[in-house]
Amino acid sequence: MCGCGQGYWGWGHRAPSPMLLLSLLLSAAPFGLLGEETRQVSLEVIPGWLGNPQNLLHIRAVGTNSTLHYVWSSLGPPAVVLVATNTPHSTLSVNWSRLLSPEPDGGLMVLPKDSIQFSSALVFTRLLEFDGTNMSNTAADPPGKPYPPYSLAEFSWNNITDSLDPATLSATFQGRPIHDPTRAFANGSLAFRVQAFSRSGRPAQPPRLLHTADTCQLEVALVGASPQGNCSLFGLEVATLGQGPDCPSIQEQHSIDDEYAPAIFQLDQLLWSSLPPGFMQWRPVAYSQKQGGRESALPCHASPLHPTLTYPIPQSPIVRAFFGPQNNFCAFNLTFGASTGPGYWDQHYLSWSMLVGVGPPPMDALSPLVLGIMAVALGAPGLILLGGGLVLLLRHKQYSEYQSIN
Amino acid sequence: MEEEEEEARPLLAGGPDEAGREAPAAPRALPALCDPSRLAHRLLVLLLMCFLGFGSYFCYDNPAALQTQVKRDMQVNTTKFMLLYAWYSWPNVVLCFFGGFLIDRVFGIRWGTIIFSCFVCIGQVIFALGGIFNAFWLMEFGRFVFGIGGESLAVAQNTYAVSWFKGKELNLVFGLQLSMARIGSTVNMNLMGWLYSKIEASLGSAGPTTLGVTLMIGGITCILSLICALALAYLDQRAERILHKEQGKTGEVIKLTDVKDFSLPLWLIFIICVCYYVAVFPFIGLGKVFFTEKFGFSSQAASAINSIVYVISAPMSPIFGLLVDKTGKNIIWVLCAVVTTLVSHMMLAFTMWNPWIAMCLLGLSYSLLACALWPMVAFVVPEHQLGTAYGFMQSIQNLGLAIISIIAGMILDTRGYLFLEVFFIACVSLSLLSVVLLYLVNRARGGNLNYSARQREEIKLSHTE
Repeated sequence: MCGCGQGYWGWGHRAPSPMLLLSLLLSAAPFGLLGEETRQVSLEVIPGWLGNPQNLLHIRAVGTNSTLHYVWSSLGPPAVVLVATNTPHSTLSVNWSRLLSPEPDGGLMVLPKDSIQFSSALVFTRLLEFDGTNMSNTAADPPGKPYPPYSLAEFSWNNITDSLDPATLSATFQGRPIHDPTRAFANGSLAFRVQAFSRSGRPAQPPRLLHTADTCQLEVALVGASPQGNCSLFGLEVATLGQGPDCPSIQEQHSIDDEYAPAIFQLDQLLWSSLPPGFMQWRPVAYSQKQGGRESALPCHASPLHPTLTYPIPQSPIVRAFFGPQNNFCAFNLTFGASTGPGYWDQHYLSWSMLVGVGPPPMDALSPLVLGIMAVALGAPGLILLGGGLVLLLRHKQYSEYQSIN
Repeated sequence: MEEEEEEARPLLAGGPDEAGREAPAAPRALPALCDPSRLAHRLLVLLLMCFLGFGSYFCYDNPAALQTQVKRDMQVNTTKFMLLYAWYSWPNVVLCFFGGFLIDRVFGIRWGTIIFSCFVCIGQVIFALGGIFNAFWLMEFGRFVFGIGGESLAVAQNTYAVSWFKGKELNLVFGLQLSMARIGSTVNMNLMGWLYSKIEASLGSAGPTTLGVTLMIGGITCILSLICALALAYLDQRAERILHKEQGKTGEVIKLTDVKDFSLPLWLIFIICVCYYVAVFPFIGLGKVFFTEKFGFSSQAASAINSIVYVISAPMSPIFGLLVDKTGKNIIWVLCAVVTTLVSHMMLAFTMWNPWIAMCLLGLSYSLLACALWPMVAFVVPEHQLGTAYGFMQSIQNLGLAIISIIAGMILDTRGYLFLEVFFIACVSLSLLSVVLLYLVNRARGGNLNYSARQREEIKLSHTE
């Protein structure tokens, strides 16, 4: 029984291979840049050029001997560049004139350059919408007849300085289409809420992903937008940098533990298998109500990653600025909901959360409450049996002694 | 007497039908079939007795079989869903004491059975109407009415069994009745989901109406049971006329003041009973979604595995009954059953192993426990208090089920299945603790609970000498 506390992770058919786990362990040890308990986290909106406010959010998480930089921006489609360095003194340098030019290469740099241990990027390119009626297979891709998608590069975004909250280390990018002929977003918006953490913990709202100081959480919420059909399912297209010719793969980890997200026994993650690794992690669940509970949980399905050579995806200036001209992007689609059960149509609300970070992904362990209950539940009968048995044995001995005297 | 003549009139109409239905199957046995003193006739009565309970057991687990549909169509969370089970249990907290009294003193066994069957039917109809009118409170009320009939009907069924088979094949009959009950539950688990999808296809959409119609069709089994109740009443009355046998009585004398005389072992047996059953029935009530979500089972496979406990229990109950009868040592058997249940819940909670293993273990241990635990009451209670003791045991079992059903639903909504399983493990472990204590108390007091069958035989002989 005691073995249950460990080793319950990764059972199931798509568990990470032993080699990968080994490389994770090996990679975590020497770099020392990962797994820092606490970090000094600062959020800074980089002031725009010539007084024009631009949405460029720099999250800098400084540990004892490492610094993580998360640069979120809604220049072009919403995107994040994540960079890990092995010094607490690395800095971000922004060259606005270059960044806003048609060829922004080199507009964004983390200095000193040789301290960079890891870098990658995510771009949220399109908001997808499908007709969910008569959908037989939820796992199919696409899940139904697609409606015209919304390109997130053609959204206008609020000024994030207004939503910056240093207390919770969070900021929200809120946007709606620049051209909205059907007025679908007249009363609606798409919001990307970014939050950083100075230590590990777990939010109160489902899906309650375990975060560490090395991670950053993104909550995507679609609120109030009119769907194009009665049974619309929404999706999100996410692009990332490929590694060489291959795309990173999405792992589905099955776990026994659904304490923090009731009835969700799976954790999906996209791993950039470098040294140190980076990851994007989410539970395959979205919520159709603000106070997400089981009754509002929608399944979230991720398609495999595929190269985007066949069709152009909107370019993100910050990704281009940091990585230079790249064309080996990989993309995948997340689809939220099924034709039955709760859906966006209930309250015109949809929210989904993920973590992005550097180092080995955080792993849930059985909560102390569960372990405590199990210890008492299994210990008590055993102890009573042991104690009672001893007492009986002693009494029996005494009893037989009396008898022998008689 | 007047009362009995009255009841004969409506029953005569149903009676010949019953006999006629049986007759073509075995035309030569016709005289034996109609002669209440012959085995063939008793077997006919046994068949009716078995189907008497079929309807209520079929409908009891309707919510479990349609969990996702009920929650989706009625838009309720798990806590409210589990209220459907709690509302069934509430009336029985009280009725367990009075069921026997009502049968013996007020209605008589025949009218009692018919009345309780009517309650079951009406309850199921109200439950179904709640679906059709999209009113969850009406569904809850239906389950309440259903509960009033359900457990008391089981008491009536046992009374009939005793009255017809005492000193003959009584244990076998009890075993067969239990098997039939489990078959009812199993058929329900595997049939209702399919039925719902058929009705959905024919109505064109899913929704409260579909749910209501499905439940209404499920209610046909209750009508079948009511017909059995009517036929049994006729046959019983006829047997009384021919054999001059008395109308069956539960013989239960409930004296609530007896409670203060209950011994420590009896209280421990109560605790074992409550803590054990609350970890089995509410789990089955919530199990279907667990198997689909955690183990990726299809809806049909989840129904099948959720009913395996009942499937196993059907043939194993008589076998284990015989085993416990032949060996004695009841506490050891109860201990085995509780430990096995603990292991199976732990497998479900902490491993991804194929849940068929754990559920089969649960089925075996559940059958074993029923055979070893319930007879123990008779060893620790003087015969005149037996009725009170069994009434009390059923009553607190129902109280436990009602409360734990609600708690289980709340835990599931807020903390998920792992925590729910841990909670059930804690319940089973409390039951285990009580078994261990019972063993120790019994050893210390030199009690008779753990005697082997031979020791019991010797004591019986020495008493008669």
